[in-house]
Amino acid sequence: MKPWALTALGGLAGLAGGLAVLPLAQGADDANVQSAYAALDRFGDAFALVRTDYVDSPDDRQLVENALNGMISDLDPHSSYFDPKTYSDMQVKTEGTYGGVGLVIAADTGGIKVVSPIDDTPAAKAGVKSGDAILAIDGKGLQGLSLDKVQDMLRGPAGTKVTLTLLRSGEQKSFEVALERAAIEVEAVKSHREGDVGYIRIPAFNERTSEGLEAAVRNLKKQIGPGLKGYIVDLRDDGGGVLDQAIAVSDDFLNGGEIVSTRGRRPDDTQRYDAKPGDITDGKPIIVLINGGTASASEIVAGALQDHKRATVLGTTSFGKGSVQTIIPLNGGEDGALHLTTARYYTPSGGSIQATGIVPDIAVAQGIQSADTPKILQPSESDLPHHLQAEQQAAAAKINIIRPPAGSKVADFQLSYALDVMNGKIATSRYIKKASTD
Amino acid sequence: MKGLAFVGAGMAVGFAAALMLFPAAHGANDSAYRQLDLFSDAFERVRADYVHPVDDSQLVTSAIQGMVSGLDPHSSYMDAKAFADMQVQTRGQFGGLGIEVTMEDGLVKVISPIDDTPASKAGIKTGDFIAAIDGTPIQGMQLNDAIQRMRGAEGTKVTLTILREGTKKPFDVALTRAVIHVDSVKFHREGDIGYVRLAAFNEQTTSGLEHAVRELKKQIGPGLRGYVIDLRNNPGGLLDQAVSVAGDFMSAGEVVSTRGRHPDDTRRYQATRSDITDGKPVVVLINGGTASASEIVAGALQDHKRATVEGMESFGKGSVQTIIPLDNGANGALRLTTARYYTPSGHSIQATGIVPDVAVAQGDEDQTSKLDQVAEADLPGHLNAEGAAKKQSGPIIRPAPGKKYDDFQLAYALDLLHGKMTVSSVSTKSADAN
Repeated sequence: MKPWALTALGGLAGLAGGLAVLPLAQGADDANVQSAYAALDRFGDAFALVRTDYVDSPDDRQLVENALNGMISDLDPHSSYFDPKTYSDMQVKTEGTYGGVGLVIAADTGGIKVVSPIDDTPAAKAGVKSGDAILAIDGKGLQGLSLDKVQDMLRGPAGTKVTLTLLRSGEQKSFEVALERAAIEVEAVKSHREGDVGYIRIPAFNERTSEGLEAAVRNLKKQIGPGLKGYIVDLRDDGGGVLDQAIAVSDDFLNGGEIVSTRGRRPDDTQRYDAKPGDITDGKPIIVLINGGTASASEIVAGALQDHKRATVLGTTSFGKGSVQTIIPLNGGEDGALHLTTARYYTPSGGSIQATGIVPDIAVAQGIQSADTPKILQPSESDLPHHLQAEQQAAAAKINIIRPPAGSKVADFQLSYALDVMNGKIATSRYIKKASTD
Repeated sequence: MKGLAFVGAGMAVGFAAALMLFPAAHGANDSAYRQLDLFSDAFERVRADYVHPVDDSQLVTSAIQGMVSGLDPHSSYMDAKAFADMQVQTRGQFGGLGIEVTMEDGLVKVISPIDDTPASKAGIKTGDFIAAIDGTPIQGMQLNDAIQRMRGAEGTKVTLTILREGTKKPFDVALTRAVIHVDSVKFHREGDIGYVRLAAFNEQTTSGLEHAVRELKKQIGPGLRGYVIDLRNNPGGLLDQAVSVAGDFMSAGEVVSTRGRHPDDTRRYQATRSDITDGKPVVVLINGGTASASEIVAGALQDHKRATVEGMESFGKGSVQTIIPLDNGANGALRLTTARYYTPSGHSIQATGIVPDVAVAQGDEDQTSKLDQVAEADLPGHLNAEGAAKKQSGPIIRPAPGKKYDDFQLAYALDLLHGKMTVSSVSTKSADAN
């Protein structure tokens, strides 16, 4: 035992004995341990006072869960504490299907907002829209609740009912939507031909995504035959998912090179993920569609294909969620788990996705109205409170955004623009017709 | 990994010692230690594994805020700086905007702008949401932080981003901070009736009321028929001022009691003054913005049948917060709910509010959605009411359609005092307050 431990911390009798078990080889230095101790002591005082003085007898467990919620969710918008129930539910979810309404949600300045309703789910069928603010669930206000808690409230066994109170941009009053929960199939890849072009929609990255993509490419090759001009890979409103799948999907289009790296706090935390040889699309041109709802795993794919000049990225700047969360179970999961931001994603060229997002090669807006939508109804990562800062700030080049002409009635302007580019109806130097060979 | 476990354990021993410093914590048991152990374990993991190094003190500040604000909408934690600032502010004048606010849906909501302040002059309205202060979004902020950001030196500028129901886009309002004289008492004669408006309960409220009553007696003379005490949109303030204000209308009796967790926490507050209004009839006006200390006054005068309470049901904020400094304030302070208020007849004000004897609507309530009319019972995590079932108010009297009143509730109160309306519950004479 080193004497400093006693002198620095011996102010309160009995404490030095406890701290003496601190393994000093940890690299914990004097000031560091003191600061941690003082902080924990402050928490212990507050905890003791609440236990004795609060108007009702509080539940110790609830107090600490609320404390963990407060501590972790203040770090950044994606870090959170999962209580034991949420943690076990979450394990069920990643295993396959779960009962829910089918909403991807985010917390932003205006409260809890819908990022996107998932296709073919109760929420989508009931007309819940991107940008809707969720004010209450089953009449219960959401103030002070973490995103995960809200998610938890939305989930439940298929067939049970849940009522959302929503506020929509441009509407004066909030309104209620009653939904019946359903088994949410972790969304599958869909595809169809658009003339000679193969269209592939990836709504999320789950365990079956790369498998689904490969099946889609096989089917499109069969349907279209040798005249196949190229592929449009639609990552719009794809909120991300499993990192492995983002890597596998990128790998399907690349012959080699780095796909993404994650960098944590220490240099040896850096991990690089590389592509293996083999491009299932035989080097055909690819246009990747992105928008403000393209986040996380989908930004990895868009960034990798863009940096390797394997695809032309078309649409609007992506969300900018370039941080990696690790699930750290507490006491083997019995006490829940931390969902903690531990690293950042970097594209092969070294750009951090965090807060800046992926900037399209060809900027195409879906509608003319989007400029009129208040910024707070179109959140992106950099709008989120306490978001992690971008590490290096690339001078965001002012790009000219292409918009549908006034009066245009095209259902999906971004897709139709992409098809026009691929079919040569629109000539642009930014369109990458040939895959690079690396 | 093993090292982390040890660190956790070491910290927990530290906690045990901290808990033992509180003699009152003898209920501290295995559960408490186990929970603290869990907390220190998580704290250590965050310190070690978060994407960048984090400030220990900030982590714990966030943790205490999460713990305390999770209890109910009125409990909160102030760090050392916020606590020091608060002490300055309660001592006297502060530079501010002049709005009473609450937290709702993660945004700050305006309960009411205070008359003659920068906020009311700039047209900030009840029910407006404040989405950002000087461009910093409110979401994720504690209410105290938000209030802190709005306050500042006199003459400095602040820009609020306002979301207003019925207005599509948020808009900015630039305000110059001013010293807010919380001028809590205003009065004037309405014919032979004395009208006294109490806007808040601060140190000067009782003396202000007494001054107002003296002046009104002088102005109106012996023909003075009665008083209207207007507590509408009065969000409350100091308990001792509520007790002395109620005492100014009562010769004796209990004004309010506070009951905490342990039976010996019960405190009773008695009227110790004499009735400065000589037993003249009193009508107290209340509405959904009447909260806390104002509800104590309305409840006491109602229970003692000293006044007729007219208007709409009050907010229902019947909980008592105590400021508990940590380490003498060096570690900030808890603002903790420690008791509930009970009216003399034993009704808990909490969540139920004061039900008027004569229910009179102002007439503009229907145009605002429920979201704009928050009551305590609507706040997430509110303390439940305890004790007696809620009283029912009678049918609500509304202004006749097409008729325009500046202030229908006041006009109705004046009619009551003039005897133009007969209502069985109107107390035209001071009842025996014993």
